[in-house]
Amino acid sequence: MSTGWSLWVMGLVVLNIGITLFLFFWGTRVSIPTEKDGTSGHIWAHGVLREGVRKVPVWWYVPSVCVFIISITYLVLYPGFGNNPGTLGWTSQGELERDIAVNDALLDPIMQRAETQSFKSLSQDPQALHIGHRLFQDNCAACHGRDGLGNKVIGAPNLLDGASLFGGSAEDIVKSIRDGRNGVMPGWEALGYGKVKNLAHYIRRLSGESADGPSANAGENYFGTCAACHGADAKGNKALGAPNLTDNASLYGNSIEELMTTIDKGRQGYMPAWKDRLSNAEIRVITAWILGNETASAGK
Amino acid sequence: MKFPIRYEHFEAIEKRAWLLGVLTAVMISIGGLAEITPLFIEANKVQPSEGLKPYSPLRLAGRDVYVREGCYLCHSQMIRHQRFETQRYGEFSAASDSVYDRPFQWGSKRTGPDLARVGGKYSDEWQHRHLENPQQLVPESNMPPYPWLTKKKISGADIQARMRVLRILGDPYSEADIESALAAVDGKTEMDALVAYLQGLGIDNVLPKAKQ
Repeated sequence: MSTGWSLWVMGLVVLNIGITLFLFFWGTRVSIPTEKDGTSGHIWAHGVLREGVRKVPVWWYVPSVCVFIISITYLVLYPGFGNNPGTLGWTSQGELERDIAVNDALLDPIMQRAETQSFKSLSQDPQALHIGHRLFQDNCAACHGRDGLGNKVIGAPNLLDGASLFGGSAEDIVKSIRDGRNGVMPGWEALGYGKVKNLAHYIRRLSGESADGPSANAGENYFGTCAACHGADAKGNKALGAPNLTDNASLYGNSIEELMTTIDKGRQGYMPAWKDRLSNAEIRVITAWILGNETASAGK
Repeated sequence: MKFPIRYEHFEAIEKRAWLLGVLTAVMISIGGLAEITPLFIEANKVQPSEGLKPYSPLRLAGRDVYVREGCYLCHSQMIRHQRFETQRYGEFSAASDSVYDRPFQWGSKRTGPDLARVGGKYSDEWQHRHLENPQQLVPESNMPPYPWLTKKKISGADIQARMRVLRILGDPYSEADIESALAAVDGKTEMDALVAYLQGLGIDNVLPKAKQ
C-alpha cells in the first residue's frame, strides 16, 4: 500500500476511534439538566412517555471499555493501522509457511521412507498406504474410480485386475504416473463392417468368450494387421501399450459392439503426466497403494 | 473554561431521525472507506505480468460459457493462503492470475472443488464426458450434466466483437489476434470452448516462473 493510502487508513482509524471514544466518555459525564420529576423534559405521545435521565449501566460500560482496549491492542499487535506491520510481525504468508513447516515435519519421515524404501516394505507401511490412498482419491479416482476399478467410458484401466498395458511392475507404474501415457490405436474403418465384425468375434474367442465360430475363423485370417502391435500371439506389447487380447481384461468393454467400435474408430486413451503435480515420494506411495490393493484383490 | 460541546448540541440529532440516519451512515462507512477504497484503487493498478497473454478466442468463448452456466456458483477459482488449500490445489492464487477476467471468477462457495489450477489435471476427453454426464465418470458426484453444450456452435463474429470490447477495456489484442479468431473457433462447440478454458486454468494465466 502506498504511503498516501496508509495515511488515509490511519486517519480514518484515528477519526473513528476518536469520535467513538469521545462520545463514550463525554456522554457518560455530561450533565443534563433535569426537571423536578427527574426526567429530561423530553416527552412523547402527548406526555404519556417521558424520558428519564439515568447513568449508563455497568454491564454496558465495562464491556464497552473492553472493546476499546481490545481494538487498540489489536492494532498494536497486528497489521491494520495503515502500513504499520504490528509488533508481532504477523503475515498471512508467514502463517502459511509455519503451517506448511508443521505439516512437513509430520509428513517428512513418511515421505523419506517413501523415497528410499522398497515397494515391498512400503506396502506394509500403514502410514504410507494411508497417504497413498488419500492422494489416489484426490488425483486418480476421477478416472480410475475410487476403488481403482477403472472406467470403460474413457478407457481408464482397472488397476486391480493384474492386467496392464505398459507393464505392472512398480517401476512401470511409477513411470505411467510420472510421465503419463498415450494410447495410439488407429481406427480400421477402411476394413469395412464385415471384417471388423469378424475380427471382433475372433478377439472374443481369443479371450475365451463366446463367439460365432465361422466369423471368428474369418477374423483370424486378417489378424495379421493387428499383430503388428498386439503380437502374433495376441499377447500385446508393453512397449507400445498394446493390450493383451487373450485375457479377460478390457479397457473399453468386450461385447461385440464395443469391440467393433474400438476396431472401427481406434482408441487414443490419454493419461496426463503427474510429475508437475505430485512429488516422487507421493507417486511412490500411490504406487504402493495400488500394488497393495492389487495383491489384496488377487487374494480374494 | 467551559467545555465547548454541550448536551444541547445533540438535541438537533435526537430530534431529527433523518440527521441521525445520515450521521450513522457516515460513521459506519468509515470502515468501508478504510478497507475497500485503497484495495479497490490499488487492485485496478495490478498490471498483467510481462508475457502473460489475454484469453485466446476459444478460451474466451469458454469463459463466457462458464459464466453463463453459473459454474462459479459451485466452483471457486481461489486457492487461499492456507496449508490445506495449497497442499490439495497447489500454489495459492495471485491477483495477476485473474487480471484478464472481467469479472473475476473467484467464487465464494465450493460445492465442487476449486478449479484455479485444474488445467491439465484430467484429459480433454475426461472433461468432455464429465461435463456431458458427470456420474458416468464419478458415480458419487452431485454435479448436474451439461449435455446441451455439445450442440451449440461458437459464433466467430460474436467472439471478435467481444475481443474488440475487451481491447477498449485495455486487453492487448492485436488486429491479427482478432482476425485469427474466426478460424480459431470455426466449427467448435461450446463444449470445446469450455474444455479449452478449463484446461488452461492455472497454466495459461500463470507465468512459467510463478508455476515453479
